Amino acid sequence: MAASISGLLKPWTPRVFLVRWSRYNPYYLEPEVSKEAYSRPATELSAEEKEQRELKTLRPIKAATSGVSSSVFDDPVISKFINMMMEHGNKVLAREIMTQTLENIKKKQVEKYHKASEGEREAIECNPYTIFHQALENCKPVVGLASIQKGGKYYQVPIPLPDNRRRFLAMKWMITECRDNKHRRTHMYEKLSQELLAAFGKEGNVMKKKYELHKMAEANRAYAHYRWW
Amino acid sequence: MAASCVRTVGSFLGKCMTCSSSINTVATQVSQQVELTYSALCRKNLAAAGPEKFTLEYIQKQVEEYEIGKRHLANMMGEDSENFTQEDIDRSITYLFPSGLFEKTARPLMKLIHFPLHKAVQWGADGRPFHFLFYTGKQSYYSLMHDLYGKILKIEKHQDRLRAKGLFSQDAQLISLGPSRWLTKEELELLLVETISTHDYDRFIKLMEHMLCMPYSSTEEEFVQRYRRLLEAQSLKQLVPLLEKDENGVAFSTAEGRRKTSDSSVILRDCGSGHITVNGQDYLQYFPVLQDREQLMFPLQFMGVLGRFNLECKVSGGGRSSQAGALRLAISRALLSFLSEGDGEVMRQAGLLTPDPRVRERKKPGQEGARRKFTWKKR
Repeated sequence: MAASISGLLKPWTPRVFLVRWSRYNPYYLEPEVSKEAYSRPATELSAEEKEQRELKTLRPIKAATSGVSSSVFDDPVISKFINMMMEHGNKVLAREIMTQTLENIKKKQVEKYHKASEGEREAIECNPYTIFHQALENCKPVVGLASIQKGGKYYQVPIPLPDNRRRFLAMKWMITECRDNKHRRTHMYEKLSQELLAAFGKEGNVMKKKYELHKMAEANRAYAHYRWW
Repeated sequence: MAASCVRTVGSFLGKCMTCSSSINTVATQVSQQVELTYSALCRKNLAAAGPEKFTLEYIQKQVEEYEIGKRHLANMMGEDSENFTQEDIDRSITYLFPSGLFEKTARPLMKLIHFPLHKAVQWGADGRPFHFLFYTGKQSYYSLMHDLYGKILKIEKHQDRLRAKGLFSQDAQLISLGPSRWLTKEELELLLVETISTHDYDRFIKLMEHMLCMPYSSTEEEFVQRYRRLLEAQSLKQLVPLLEKDENGVAFSTAEGRRKTSDSSVILRDCGSGHITVNGQDYLQYFPVLQDREQLMFPLQFMGVLGRFNLECKVSGGGRSSQAGALRLAISRALLSFLSEGDGEVMRQAGLLTPDPRVRERKKPGQEGARRKFTWKKR
């Protein structure tokens, strides 16, 4: 009975090879790595979360990847950014660049802090992680454009973007910007820290790109009804 | 070759062995092959015949013959015929019929195989079918759907009667099914002894769900439970390694882990110092990259026992990341013996106890790599 599920639990290869498939059976659930999620007592949870917990006790769970850990220094957004920056599997280099960027941001902000007068000091943010998150938030576009065919012609139709897509676009623009538009002799971490600080202050090329996309979406507002989903 | 084996077996031991050899899987295949060579001349497409199916009487006869054969074999070997297990049978057969064949499945065998059920004849001597839904082609499936709908109508009638009396309440308790799942399509097919399509199966599940959503459906609980299977809690399937004590009275446990092509084994000692040795070297020397060290610490940090244990690790094969992954799995497993069951369940939900099944995907012919195709040229 329950033993019949054991056939479902083995590392799995689909009989017909699909384009995107994983070695895990679709029955497996994603792991939850943060310690806080398990310390919440049952009284605080909503009905859905209780159901989720029930389901987790019954279903097998995938293994945690090698990029995540329960350490306080581990941030899922930063891990995603490191993976996107990585080229040819060189995670060591990508991570090195990231740590140097954060260090650089901290240095610049601390310099600014010491040079500023008493009144301005509270306004200066020194934590590089908050700066990174805020900069990324500022870069996220709200609407995107989709190419929809109608009557033989292709129109750029404004569509709402899901959260993943927005985060992806912000990170992608940031990385492309830093790789292409920099002076020959600047290091990646220097350029990245400059861009992040600019985005934190709502200036810079990445913000410009976001505003241009918004303007295009505003201009094509008339075709918004072409969207059917 | 196998045929001659069967024939010598038959001639050697007389009646008892012929009946047991007829259950012999090799023999059934051979005899079926012999039968099929004649029927193959009559029928063109052998694959379309499908897997062999057997009637209930045939299966019962085979089981009886197997039991008789087993007792005869036990007597032949001079052993107790009451407590003659399958291992004893295997041992006796390898003794009596030593085979030099390399293919293990071709050697002589005496075992009961799983016989897939076959439907009994569904019409009488006059040619009229017994079941009223015979001409649908899938009589068991449609009769099941018919019964299910009958139950739904019964529940609705019950609801109407209660409404008439004024006793109807919307939130009457629905069926409590417990941790269980619906029968899979394969299991349903086995139950009905009929093939059904995915569409049919989906309709059946939808109708069941519809019935469960109605108030007062708890009257049909027994009917529904027949089509549900219990789900075991996953935490019960974890193997906890033994907690041993060495000469100094220090508790320790050993565990192994694998990832890609790396193998590792870890001895976790409850010393209180927090030293970690990998292949004789200090872990700082062996894993210069921070990410690998983080992976080693992950299970310990997650459970909050960072400084408590001494780790003595051995790892071989693979690259630096897969060695770190293998060690992480081994550490989590060894840690299970020091923790309570609840903590073990929490570790499992964090993904620390699942062996990572991802391995390198093979290169395919006609492509440059596993996924990368050759450059497309229009001409």
